[in-house]
Amino acid sequence: MNSFESQKSLEFLKNSFREYYEKNRMALLPDRFGRREFAFTFFGGKGMLRHLSFSKKKDFIDFLKERVPAHAYYSSAYYQKPDAPSMQQKNWMGAELIFDLDSDHLPNAEKLSYTEALEQVKKEFKRLVEEFLLQDFGFDEKHLELYFSGGRGYHCHVKDPMVFDLDSNERREIVDYITGRDLRDTIIFRQYVSERRQYGRRIYSGIKTLRMPTPDQPGWKGRISRGIIEIVNEIKKSRDPIKKLQEYGVKKRNAEKLIRDLSDERVRRIKNGLLDQSKTIRSFFLNSALRKTAVALSAGETDEPVTCDTKRLIRLPYSLHGGTGLRVTKLDIDDLEEFNPLVDAVVFDDRPIRVRLLQPIKMEMNGENHKLQTGIQDVPRYLAVFLVGKKMAVVA
Amino acid sequence: MMDLTILAKYPFLNNSREYIKKNGPSVKDLLESLVYERARIIGIERLDNAFKNRDVGERSLATETDCIMELLSYPIARMIAVCVGDNFFKRRYALGEAYHAYKNLINEQTSFLIKVSKEFNLNVKYAEENKRIKIHFKDYLRNAPTRYKEWKMINRDMEKGYIYVSHKELARLLEEALRRKINKDLDSRECDETIYKVFSSEISRFQNMVMIHRKKMRTTPIGKLSVEKLPPCIKNLLSAIQAGENVPHMGRFAVVAFLNSLKLSVDEIMKIFSSAPDYEEDKTRYQVEHITGSISSTSYSPLGCEKMRTYGICPEEQIDEICKKIRHPLNYYYRKWRQKEKEEKTSTKEETGL
Repeated sequence: MNSFESQKSLEFLKNSFREYYEKNRMALLPDRFGRREFAFTFFGGKGMLRHLSFSKKKDFIDFLKERVPAHAYYSSAYYQKPDAPSMQQKNWMGAELIFDLDSDHLPNAEKLSYTEALEQVKKEFKRLVEEFLLQDFGFDEKHLELYFSGGRGYHCHVKDPMVFDLDSNERREIVDYITGRDLRDTIIFRQYVSERRQYGRRIYSGIKTLRMPTPDQPGWKGRISRGIIEIVNEIKKSRDPIKKLQEYGVKKRNAEKLIRDLSDERVRRIKNGLLDQSKTIRSFFLNSALRKTAVALSAGETDEPVTCDTKRLIRLPYSLHGGTGLRVTKLDIDDLEEFNPLVDAVVFDDRPIRVRLLQPIKMEMNGENHKLQTGIQDVPRYLAVFLVGKKMAVVA
Repeated sequence: MMDLTILAKYPFLNNSREYIKKNGPSVKDLLESLVYERARIIGIERLDNAFKNRDVGERSLATETDCIMELLSYPIARMIAVCVGDNFFKRRYALGEAYHAYKNLINEQTSFLIKVSKEFNLNVKYAEENKRIKIHFKDYLRNAPTRYKEWKMINRDMEKGYIYVSHKELARLLEEALRRKINKDLDSRECDETIYKVFSSEISRFQNMVMIHRKKMRTTPIGKLSVEKLPPCIKNLLSAIQAGENVPHMGRFAVVAFLNSLKLSVDEIMKIFSSAPDYEEDKTRYQVEHITGSISSTSYSPLGCEKMRTYGICPEEQIDEICKKIRHPLNYYYRKWRQKEKEEKTSTKEETGL
């Protein structure tokens, strides 16, 4: 890549983005925009322009049109003086509760393609929204806003006024709940002692059994129970149960032992809610069910979940992501299943653009299959923006 | 009208306040009349007990007079606490009231607890279908000691925003809500001149008590630790712990891990916590030993500045020149050491140069 090409590429992205920002003015205005801090980074620029605030809609729209940021962010917090240069001068008034799920945090992220990774995050995101936020926390659907981030993940903004004044410790508790941290196995598995029996003069203590919660119990109990049953079914159905267990991270020797222990009789007992006291079985099931049902939340620069930070910046809804050209797109809960970022978050047309591909690509975008070799060629603009943004191509 | 005994037992209730307003004596009589001498004595007893035993104490409520005196002693104690004007003293008094209420509340009917919850604006419901008490998760979060594992939200049954709690647990949540309520109330009031005059000898006795307590704390040397070299974050946490403020788990963790890195022993660290109004020796010892690695396999390393910031325990308004240069609170301490040494060296040089 020579500097001429990279200059041209930046110009191309900037012009395309400007066109979008000129056309879509009103959609970009977030609620309470006068109380929020805004921050931007620019094409070819270094660092971030922070502590901005806008009191007039027009100023905000003009700013986007004139400066054409590569990435646009706003604060999930509301401030009395959003443009004050330091945090304490801003005077914090409250903050939405933000959940950020990113494919970087999937355990096998590096092996997955962009599309596969997005698909996996979506599953997890759906679980976060449906099982945790709506079911357990009982938030009203009308207070949840879901967004595709334009990059590799999804965001959920909880706008129930009740959450605004939660401090970061309280937010951390919520995060711990969702990520499954510090779950106690003695609370999940309860020991029951069956009745004592008397034979002649001697009294024999009853048999201890470990009971597992039932799938319909609320919160984590039901969740763990459902997870365990699912895992048992998977293992039993699988042709190579030992291999299946290895996928769950069980060592071969332990897997063999587990399969030996997992007789049909035991499986029947597990489904009836009786978990035998073999320690390996118990800890294996608890840990795998936990991993299966908890949600991995993205961490900020300091490895702290974004959710705990009450002063966080988050990508501006409807803005464009400078690394993909995709739009930060609002989703309905019901549309989550169907949503395909590589169609639904695409904003540019298919006017041909001459680019030089730096690597061969094979992907589906905007409903079309693109299988391209390296070198100079014409591609539709939406793909050109995506590839140039991801630095997989330059404008020729 | 509620039973007078109930009003006397729970003088913080609206009904109790209204009763005093309607049937109670004038402030002048309450402060001066011989008739209310007993109420004034009990008021002072409340404060003494709270300071010494973390509980304002139990008195007989057999007769109507007993009840009225007990009831009237509450506002008197509060007014004096404000005039003593010391944070530690006020916190300790609030804890004493709250703990005493808790001890009484566990013996009441659940319906009474729910009534009190309503008065504290806690969203609590009694679920008829399974005869269980549930509380909205936000009110739970605000008042539950989630630094203990069994109180963590994840180890609770939660459904549609409500967390199930037992009768005793609800009483515990009310205790915390009351403690916060009294703290807030004490902080928002100013000392009244008349009260100050009437109780001046008691007030200075309390102030002395606090001073002696402080001195005792200060003169017990904390190992080789030099307090003035501590970074502002740790200094703040320490004084908050000693003033009995509700320091979150992470704050406590940060202090213990920090002090452990400075080679303070478990006992020395315990000493610091022992002055907290809600100190419980076994629990503290267990946790300190856990963090320092003396009963667990890992010794936790103290948090860096970044982490302190995200946990909201870095006092950003107190950041000084040294803070700007370092990324870990420990380095603040070391830098101060070096600075001091340098200063000493240069001063001795000057001396020898003369």
